[in-house]
Amino acid sequence: MPAALDAIIDELKESDRQERIDLLIDFAKNLPPLPPELEARKDAEHRVEECQSPVYLFVEMIGDRVALYGEAPAEAPTVRGFVSLLLEGLNGASPEDVLKVPGDLVDLCGLTEVLGMLRVRGLSGVLRRIKRDVARVAFAHHSTP
Amino acid sequence: MGEAYAHPEVLVSTQWVLDHLDDPKVRIVESDEDLLLYDLGHVPGSVRIDWQGDLQDQIVRDYIDAEKFADLCSKNGIAADTTVVFYGDKSNWWACYAFWAFTLFGHESLKVMDGGRKLWIDEGRPITRETPKPPRTDYKVAGGDEAAIRAFRDEVMTHVRAGRPLIDVRSPKEFTGEMLHMEDYPQEGSLRAGHIPGAKSVPWSRAVEDDGTFKSAAALRAIYEGEVGLKPADDVVAYCRIGERSSLTWFVLTYLLGYPRVRNYDGSWTEWGNLVRAPIERGAGA
Repeated sequence: MPAALDAIIDELKESDRQERIDLLIDFAKNLPPLPPELEARKDAEHRVEECQSPVYLFVEMIGDRVALYGEAPAEAPTVRGFVSLLLEGLNGASPEDVLKVPGDLVDLCGLTEVLGMLRVRGLSGVLRRIKRDVARVAFAHHSTP
Repeated sequence: MGEAYAHPEVLVSTQWVLDHLDDPKVRIVESDEDLLLYDLGHVPGSVRIDWQGDLQDQIVRDYIDAEKFADLCSKNGIAADTTVVFYGDKSNWWACYAFWAFTLFGHESLKVMDGGRKLWIDEGRPITRETPKPPRTDYKVAGGDEAAIRAFRDEVMTHVRAGRPLIDVRSPKEFTGEMLHMEDYPQEGSLRAGHIPGAKSVPWSRAVEDDGTFKSAAALRAIYEGEVGLKPADDVVAYCRIGERSSLTWFVLTYLLGYPRVRNYDGSWTEWGNLVRAPIERGAGA
């Protein structure tokens, strides 16, 4: 797993309930805006369907490293915070490392405890979507002569 | 002037809430779909009551018992004679759910802030991140008339057989059976898609305007009576997927239109779509 993500998980794990909420809010506030060229490409293909709110994800390869961009509405701070957390934890990682991120990341971070079981399913969908897109983009990247 | 709501006293404006922020007889309660919104900032003095963490039993699929409800109210500074005003995200969807749950326990004075969290913020009204510490009360549960507002599956079966009206408030594709869950939402575990036979489709969100406030009584009547033929004297059951969206429809029919007999089937599609031999219909319906 990418070291940056590992550090985030550790920080969340060691926090109490209110600290986890505050961390997630900080992540939500720090989500960078989409670059203008991606803003124009927000379509069904880039929308995370599993999510309750309109969440868009973009995956690119810069050299042999993963570059992630995402957008989620301010009115849905939970999912926005989680997208931001993933972007911070996974940007610049190798595709192999991204694919190794455990599927139960939401649980690992202690977020199920904070948010309740019914709220976290959409979040897991964001991670699945990132892994799927990374696998696809990295494969295309490798096959390009 | 159009037709007034049947029970206009259950709705208060954002201005009313602003005027009552320091009223010791009033407790403002935020109930949201997204738990973090309260932490981002809320109406000053408001407490958070979460539909999932606070109102639902964490083991049995049911609501908390009277003792836990008394404790929840006591610790949030709510006494039996406190006026509780709910507001929240998504056009007060969860606020209505909390309102319905409080009604189960027979709390007398309940209101919803029209327009919810969105309107409060859009109007630039004050918000704070400070969590109030209301003095603890000694809440006594009055005990509500559960049978009047809550339908269980056997009652719904009887209702279907008698051909009485049912309102399905889910999205059109959930109703027709094309999807097991609301578009863009995680599915919550039903094995069969479709709707309860005879149910009419009126997605919950049709009851609210874009700014989060409820539609006028005349506009609501045009939908529920004009389009799907409900009559005020009808015995109506509303349902959705887990009973949350339908509590908004229950609120609209009961308080805004004044229907005396409306029940929320909180087992909803998650239960019905899994019930062995329960009749199901697919497609656009009657």
